[in-house]
Amino acid sequence: MPSPTISKKAKSSIQTDVPWSVLVLDDPVNLMSYVTIILKRVFGYSEERATTLMMEIHTSGRAVVWTGAKERAEFYVQQLHGSQLKSTMEKSV
Amino acid sequence: MNVIPTLEGGLSIEPENAADWMVLDSISTDIGRPSHLAESLAGLMGDDSEWEELVVPDLEQNFNVQCRYVQEAVESAREQNSQAIFIKAHNADKWYGALNQARMSLQARYDIHGLDNFEDAPEELRSAHFRDRFYLTLQGVLLEYVMGNS
Repeated sequence: MPSPTISKKAKSSIQTDVPWSVLVLDDPVNLMSYVTIILKRVFGYSEERATTLMMEIHTSGRAVVWTGAKERAEFYVQQLHGSQLKSTMEKSV
Repeated sequence: MNVIPTLEGGLSIEPENAADWMVLDSISTDIGRPSHLAESLAGLMGDDSEWEELVVPDLEQNFNVQCRYVQEAVESAREQNSQAIFIKAHNADKWYGALNQARMSLQARYDIHGLDNFEDAPEELRSAHFRDRFYLTLQGVLLEYVMGNS
């Protein structure tokens, strides 16, 4: 009778991607209603959600407007820059 | 100058004198070099060299298109002695973008939104302030009557 052997399980090498946040910064030039329109266009947000985010940008100086995969975040920042909104991205904590 | 919404959902800008044409000409003059704005926005991405190489050229091209479009629309209308410059709804973004570039550029050059009192300001600064107010008003009309419905 063969002796029993213990096989080692392969270690999982799956890593979860760190989410990235897209931020929009306040500035003295862009109009509040324009910022709302751009947030609706770029992210497909409702009027209510876009207005809430716009107000957060205005009162806090910046707001996280989207969080998710890095490539998508880069795409969104590019769209926001194309609309002349001051925006950047950072790793979510 | 009169700015009137059209039945087709656009705007009609009707200059009444030489000064009105001059202020319309100043949109492209105030923009200066559109690449400044693209580079300034890219600066917010830190030292991302790929961003500089891949994204900034596209932004520059987009901003250049807006500037040239408005410049040519004004020049063409004046050369043909037109009574009005028409902004169709599908061109509203180009006009809004060019006006925004001009205001961004004025802000970067003069910090006009950081000043409280213009009464005693130098003539150049006061002139920049009034152009900024005109561009702002035109943007407001575009947003209210044209872009807000899209």
